[in-house]
Amino acid sequence: MSGWLKKHIIALKDLERREIELIFDAAQSFKEISQREVKKTPALRGKTVINLFFENSTRTRVSFELAAKRLSADVLNFSSSTSSLAKGESIIDIIKNLESYHPDIFVIRIGSSASLRTLTQYTKASVINAGDGKNEHPTQALLDMFTVKKARGTVENLKILIVGDILHSRVARSNIFGFQKFSSQVRVCGPSTLIPYEFDKLGVEIFYDLDKAIEDVDVIIMLRVQRERQALSFFPSLREYVDKFSLSPERLKRAKKDCIVMHPGPINWDVEISSSLKEQLHPLILRQVENGLAVRMAVLYLVGTRKK
Amino acid sequence: MNMKILIKKATIVNYDKISEADILISGDKIVKISKNIKEKVDREINAAGKHVLPGFIDMHVHLRTPGREDEEDFLSGSLAAAKGGFTTVFCMPNTSPCIDNEGLANWVREEAQRIGLVDIWPIGAITKNREGRELTEFGAFKKVGCMALSDDGNSVEDSFLFRCALEYAKMFDLLTISHCEDKNLSRQGSMRESFISSKYGIGSIPDISETVRLYRDIEIARYVDARLHLAHVSCAKSVEVIADKKEHFPGLSCETAPHYFILTVDDVEKSAFNANFKVNPPLGKKEDVEAVRSALKKGIIDCIATDHAPHSAAEKELPFEDAPFGFIGLELCFALVYTYLVTKDILDIKGLVEKLSYNPARILRLGNKGKIQEGLLADLVITDLRKEWEVKKDSLVSKSKNTPFLDSTLKGTVNYTIHRGKVVYESTGL
Repeated sequence: MSGWLKKHIIALKDLERREIELIFDAAQSFKEISQREVKKTPALRGKTVINLFFENSTRTRVSFELAAKRLSADVLNFSSSTSSLAKGESIIDIIKNLESYHPDIFVIRIGSSASLRTLTQYTKASVINAGDGKNEHPTQALLDMFTVKKARGTVENLKILIVGDILHSRVARSNIFGFQKFSSQVRVCGPSTLIPYEFDKLGVEIFYDLDKAIEDVDVIIMLRVQRERQALSFFPSLREYVDKFSLSPERLKRAKKDCIVMHPGPINWDVEISSSLKEQLHPLILRQVENGLAVRMAVLYLVGTRKK
Repeated sequence: MNMKILIKKATIVNYDKISEADILISGDKIVKISKNIKEKVDREINAAGKHVLPGFIDMHVHLRTPGREDEEDFLSGSLAAAKGGFTTVFCMPNTSPCIDNEGLANWVREEAQRIGLVDIWPIGAITKNREGRELTEFGAFKKVGCMALSDDGNSVEDSFLFRCALEYAKMFDLLTISHCEDKNLSRQGSMRESFISSKYGIGSIPDISETVRLYRDIEIARYVDARLHLAHVSCAKSVEVIADKKEHFPGLSCETAPHYFILTVDDVEKSAFNANFKVNPPLGKKEDVEAVRSALKKGIIDCIATDHAPHSAAEKELPFEDAPFGFIGLELCFALVYTYLVTKDILDIKGLVEKLSYNPARILRLGNKGKIQEGLLADLVITDLRKEWEVKKDSLVSKSKNTPFLDSTLKGTVNYTIHRGKVVYESTGL
């Protein structure tokens, strides 16, 4: 018995420290399974997992799909992206339709922030958040934290720095809530236009100068620059962005010696991170992907086998 | 023969005075107010222990007709108004097609008269199809009885065109009603920019989106000396501007809606982002609620309108960011004002009458409404101020049920609504 009780995993805001630790423990055992010759366990045999993606995603969907398959669940992928209001209306209809197949778990990616609590009303199945608008991306943060735990032995009392477009980042929000539960301090750094309103009230420290922000940190999370959002004039040019917020070898030297650098991917080399750091940093970033699979197996397993 | 109604032992509340008397109605008028009226009448209503108020006037409703009769039509809207004590409502032109010509405006009048429950006055669009490009024919609107103009939901972006509209409206003595919003600042936001919107990554609308446009509109109206009414004032910063400008500009008036003196962004979070808490302008912070309350008390805000905005269940069950803006309000407004302002000593009952009846009549120059006085129209609401009730979805007569106040307990009921001398609503649970 895992001792897991939650039906849904919607936000790191709602998870308790103890629950995050349970996920880490489960992820550790699933990581080992993926290193075996036969990479499969019957843990979710007979269960149905539906990946319901209303927003484009390849990496997260593939990771969830493989996770469910390695747990022997039946997996259905459903992707759909249509325009705004009609979209919303059909979202509920689509869920009600798929509900007819009696799924056990819905993995949902959706463009509207904080919308999953509403959607849980339309299904008896568990819902796992694979990214809801700008709100949260819990499994990304869990895999980031798990990666830190593996690399540094702990996620407690660390200094975490998140760099880039905080305003539009569900990855940033989930990581902030997650790391704060372990008494780690979170700093955010980015163009002032991309730091949300009153964000300091969240208990994070705000920096506009990466050289200062980076001092003494244990972990750096570089966020992807959404090139399409640049058009909305949050900052004038990539050139200026790179000058102020790109991670260069010189800047990295100001962090702690054993500082680790992560990126949720896909990376724009020489935008977020200088390509001269590729050899040094890429291995760990790829390990995030590997850990992502284990973490997603863990959440599917815990939710799928929870005591009802 | 005129139908006669005698209301006995009424506590009559006007904006300036409370008195005890009987009210005699003959035809559509109040013919006599005095103690112990003895008269053979068609109907006698005993109002002992009840408060009789002038029929409420709502300057801001959406009746969705023509175009979305599934959400509300003139009959359901009239029933909801009558049930809420409103005898006069002004409906906004954001319909499909838009009420941007006298033909449609006249049709609204005729339909309302045919139903005959309450007065429904159409507000004409300022620009064709509310697109902010070409003025509509104000003179034609005036001919069919329109009293006000608005591009509801849209602000006239082009400042020169807005100046022209205000100047031109003066010629016909039409009131311009402004939806103050700078959409470049609102972008695609769904709730007030706040710590809560930041915490959940919800697209947000800053309060300055209202205030900067409100400032522009006031100064343009003042420059051309035209009457201007500001719709749904929602935040402290706007109140500050209005308080300052009103001293120098008597042609300025404004309204707020009940939710702006009751609910905050915290309630949005508590609802787990239920779209029944999504409205534009969005719910503000605690200091906004306090500022709106205090502005009502000080008379900086003249009236309370509902911004009654029916939406289908299918649209309001959408995720928060995808759902449309707006709450219904006709059936709840009186009890919300009574519960949240009168019982909390922010307004007294005369103040309630001032905000819901007297001031709207004054602003719209409805000389025969807004007061209980001999010779004026017999638009009356008989209320019970002691009675509590629960807002139940099934008991709402509006076709739409989208309100954040579902299941809340309110104080103050409407027992009778009398419109032009006719009982148009009578509560069954007396």
